[in-house]
Amino acid sequence: MKRAIRDMTIADRVLLVMLLALSLTGIFIVREAVPLTAEVIVEVDGRAVFTAPLDADKNVLLDSIHGKIGIEIKDRMVRINEAHCPNRLCMKEGWVSQGVIVCLPNKVVVFVGGRGNRLNKELDAVTG
Amino acid sequence: MPLQDKYRIAVLSAYALVLHGFEAILPMPIPWLRLGLANIITVVALLLYGFRTAMTVTLIRIILASMFTGTFLGPAFMLSLGGGVASTLAVGSVHALSQGLFGPVGLSLIGSFFHNAAQLALAYLLFIQRIEAVLLISPVIFLIGTSTGAVNGLIADLLLKNIRKPVPDKV
Repeated sequence: MKRAIRDMTIADRVLLVMLLALSLTGIFIVREAVPLTAEVIVEVDGRAVFTAPLDADKNVLLDSIHGKIGIEIKDRMVRINEAHCPNRLCMKEGWVSQGVIVCLPNKVVVFVGGRGNRLNKELDAVTG
Repeated sequence: MPLQDKYRIAVLSAYALVLHGFEAILPMPIPWLRLGLANIITVVALLLYGFRTAMTVTLIRIILASMFTGTFLGPAFMLSLGGGVASTLAVGSVHALSQGLFGPVGLSLIGSFFHNAAQLALAYLLFIQRIEAVLLISPVIFLIGTSTGAVNGLIADLLLKNIRKPVPDKV
């Protein structure tokens, strides 16, 4: 192995150092430049029916148990703006930027955030 | 194609297949991480017998390996084929153009870089379609690829020295 390392040409060494430096700096540059975009995941009755990035404004109507349910994404926040359940607690929850909105009668769960929220949910599913 | 070439291609393909299969059963901390050991054979084939042999061996290896593992024409096969063809093309053209500027290590590094670049591009076009996810992961992939590529290059260098030893004026 020592001989092989010694026999690397100058171009080999330059290329190796360049690639290492580029990818290392790339890790930090990308981390700064690209924010970890959070996601909105809507589950109805345990099945994910809608997924969207949090940073794009959107307004959707999804089918749930009691008619349609309206999900609005605006300014990296999410709210439920339409529901046909008795109490409409989910609508009273208002704008949420991180966490979950739950609507029990409709069996709707809106996850707001990155993959972390989903991971937590999976852990709950295993332990509970 | 002379008979001797066929033997060479068959033997090199067999080596590459074994390495490909061997690294598939190695436990890895990250599931998609591969060592790319079979690329040692691509570099060796290129330096010993030229571009056409290297490309033939790579194609045979990828197609046969995917048939053995049952992923032929599946998504993993597309990524594998794209990466293999792109890296062999890149390594072959660099080797032809640079006139011995790069040794096995440099060629292996170029191969790993283009392998990863092609796979990332394919993964983006075919499966992920979220540019920020690809951008986030690509420097990490290139870092790992550079490390494994360097080690593979060193192994290829040792292998070439061993093959060339008994007949020093073979190439």
